[in-house]
Amino acid sequence: MGKHRKLVQYLILAFVLLVGGYAIGNSLFTSSAVLAKGDKPPAFKLADLDNVAHDWSEYEGKPVILNFWGTFCPPCRAEMPALQEQYEKWHDQGLELVGINLSEDQITVERFAAEVGANFPILLDRDKKTERAFGLKQYPTTFFISADGTILDVVVGGPLDEEDLAPRIERIMNVRK
Amino acid sequence: MLIQNTKCECGHQNPVGTVLCESCGKPLFEEAAGAADAPLEMRYDGVARRSQKQNPQLVDRVWNFFSSVKIAIYLIILTLIGAAIGTIFQQESTFINMTTDEEFAKYYKETYGTAGVIYHALGLSHTYESWWFRGLLVMIGASLVICSLDRVLPLYRALNKQQIRKHLQFITRQQVTYSGPVAGDATAWVDSFKQQLKRRGYRVHQDGTALLAEKNRFSRWGPYINHIGLILFLLAVLGRSVPAWHMDQYLALYEGETRQIPNTNYYLKNEDFTLELYDESELASNQKGKAVPKLFETKATMYECVDACNDPTRDPVLKQVEQHPIQVNSPLSYGDLKIYQNSYQARVRFISVNVTLTDTVTGKAYGTFTLKADNPDRVYEVGPYTLRLNDYFPDFGLDSESRPMTKTRDPNNPAFAFTIKGPELLPDGETYLYFPMPNEESKAYQAILNDYYVKNGQSSGKFVFKVENAMSGGKMVNVTFSEYTTFLNIRKDLAMPYIWVGAAISMIGLIMGFYWQHRRVWLRIDDGTLSLGAHTNKNSYGLRADVAWALAKAGIEVPPKSLDNRRNLR
Repeated sequence: MGKHRKLVQYLILAFVLLVGGYAIGNSLFTSSAVLAKGDKPPAFKLADLDNVAHDWSEYEGKPVILNFWGTFCPPCRAEMPALQEQYEKWHDQGLELVGINLSEDQITVERFAAEVGANFPILLDRDKKTERAFGLKQYPTTFFISADGTILDVVVGGPLDEEDLAPRIERIMNVRK
Repeated sequence: MLIQNTKCECGHQNPVGTVLCESCGKPLFEEAAGAADAPLEMRYDGVARRSQKQNPQLVDRVWNFFSSVKIAIYLIILTLIGAAIGTIFQQESTFINMTTDEEFAKYYKETYGTAGVIYHALGLSHTYESWWFRGLLVMIGASLVICSLDRVLPLYRALNKQQIRKHLQFITRQQVTYSGPVAGDATAWVDSFKQQLKRRGYRVHQDGTALLAEKNRFSRWGPYINHIGLILFLLAVLGRSVPAWHMDQYLALYEGETRQIPNTNYYLKNEDFTLELYDESELASNQKGKAVPKLFETKATMYECVDACNDPTRDPVLKQVEQHPIQVNSPLSYGDLKIYQNSYQARVRFISVNVTLTDTVTGKAYGTFTLKADNPDRVYEVGPYTLRLNDYFPDFGLDSESRPMTKTRDPNNPAFAFTIKGPELLPDGETYLYFPMPNEESKAYQAILNDYYVKNGQSSGKFVFKVENAMSGGKMVNVTFSEYTTFLNIRKDLAMPYIWVGAAISMIGLIMGFYWQHRRVWLRIDDGTLSLGAHTNKNSYGLRADVAWALAKAGIEVPPKSLDNRRNLR
C-alpha cells in the first residue's frame, strides 16, 4: 500500500504539472498574430495574373521579397517603380520578388501593373486569406526572407525607395542556405 | 513534528496525526480537546489525513501544501479577487476588430484615461488569459484533487470498519448523549431499542450489550462527488485553449455574399437580411420616434466545399449542407459549428446593374447588359457592338499624380472603363467611362472624362449608358444592391458537453451533502448503566428527535433537548 501510495502521489503531481504547464505556457507564449523578424512565413498557394497557381515552396530556399500591395493604397502605388528597378538589378543573382495583391479584382490589378511596368510575379490573394495568415495590419507590408526561410526584416508602410531596399536586399542575399 | 507515541490503550497502533483511536474511539490527546468532558472533535472521524507524516520529503511538502484547506481557501479568495478585477474594464477578447497590443493600448488610453493605461500595462485587460490567473485555476484544481484524496480515503476506511463497542469516553463526549440506569436484562433492552432504531431507517449492528446504528452514510461522499464534478469542469475550461476544441470568430456578409468561414471547409451565404422595427403604437412613451428593432434575421445557407477547395485558379465547388433563418437565439447549427446573429449595419453595397447602351442623339436603345461589382466580365456583346472592359475602379478617385485609382476595395463608387468597337465607330474603338452611382460627384466625373475622350479623338460621343428606372414592388428592377450587412458569430465549443456533465456531477454531490445527514448512535450497557452517544454532521435536532423517540419506545422518556451535550455544558 505504501509504495502504491507514493506512485499515485507522483502521478497526480506530474499530471498537475503537465496541465498547469500547458495552461500557463499557452498564455505566456501565444505569439501575436503579426509576423515579425525571425519568424517563418506561412505557406500559401495563389494564382498569378495568367491564372497559374504558385506555391510558397517554389520560392522557399531562395532569397525572397514578399510585397503585399493594393492599387487602393497610395504608398503601395508609389513604391512599385523602385521595386521593379531592384528586381531587374538582382533577379539574375537569384533574388525573387513577389507582389501579393490584397484581394482586388484581377482587371484592376492587371491594368495597374501594366501601367507602372511592373513585370515581377504578382499573385492574387483571395478574400484576404494570405493577408490574414501573415497578420497584416497596414499596407504596404514588405517581408525580406533569406534563403534559409527566415524573415530577416519586415517593413510596414512605405513607400520604399532604393535606399531602403538595397541594404536589406544585400542582407538576405548574404545568407547561405 | 514531535515523535509521538500513537499506540492506544486498547492495543491499536494508530498513524501519526490520529485524533481518535481508529479502533475504540478513545481520544488520544486529552489536552488538545480542552476540558476532559467537552464534546469531541469528530472531523473525518478522528483519523489521520493521508499526508500527515513524520519525515516529509520535498514531494510530501508540496503534497502537504495542496492538501491544506486553509491554502485552498486563500487560493479561492485570490481567484475571486482576480476574476473581479477582470470585470472593471471591458476585456480585450470582446473586441472584434482589434488584434495588436498597440491597438488595445490606444483603445484603453482613449476610453478610460490613466486608469485604462495602468489597467492595460498590468495586463489586466486580458485577466482571464493571463499566466497568473490560469496558474491560480490550476492550483485550485490541484488542491481539489489532493485535499479530497487526502481525506476521502482514510474516511472511507474508518467508516468501513467501525468497531461496535467504543471507549466510554468516546460515547459520553459526543454532541448528543444520554446516560441512566436500565432495569432488567441488558441484552434484551438493547434488542428492543435496536428494533425501534430499525423502524427509523437505521442500519443496526449489535455486539452483546453494545450497539452501533447508522443511517445515510452516503451523504458523506457528497462533497467529494462535488469535487470530481468541479475538476471535470475546470479541465473542460482549460480544454478550450486547445485550438481544435474551440472557435469564436465573426463574419460580415452583405446580402447575396458567400464567404468562406476562415480555417474551415465551410462557406456561408447571406441570402437575405430582414429588419423589422417596432410600430410607433408598440413603443413606450420614452421610445417614440426612435427606430427600435423588433426582429433581425439572416436567411443563411451553409455550403461545404467538395472540389477545388485549395485551387486558386478555380472557384471552389460548393455543396449546400444546411439552411436556416438565423435570429438572435436561433443559430444555424451544423456539425460542431453554431452560427449566431450578432449584429447588423445599414450599409448600401452595390452588387450589379442592368445597363442599356443608348444613342446620345436619337435615344435609340441598342441593348442591355449586366455589370457586376465583383469580378466583372471582360467582354459584353450589345447589339452590333462589342464592349471590352478596359479598367475597373470599385471606389473611384484620383491619386496624387491625378491618375485614376480606387480609394478602397469596396464598390462605393464604381467606375467602368470600356473600349467599344462596332459599325460606324472609330477604327481603333472608342473609349467610354461609366459610373453607375447616381450621385452628383460621380456624374460630374463621368461627364468631364467622357468629354475629354471626345476632344482627344478617342471617342465620338455616340453612346450614353442608361439604367431604366423601372420599379416593381418598391424595388428597383435594374439595380441590385444590399441594404444591410449582417455580422454573424461562428462558434465551436467541444468542451461544452464536459462542462455540463461536470456541473451535473457537482450538483448531484451538493444535493447528497445538503439534503441528507449521516447519523450514528453508539451505546453500551455496563453494570445496568446505559451510556448512549450519537453524532451527525448536520441537523442535530433531527438526530435528537430520532434518539428521544427510540428511547421513549424502549421505555425511557426524555425530552429531546436534554440530550444535547453542548447545551448541558453551557
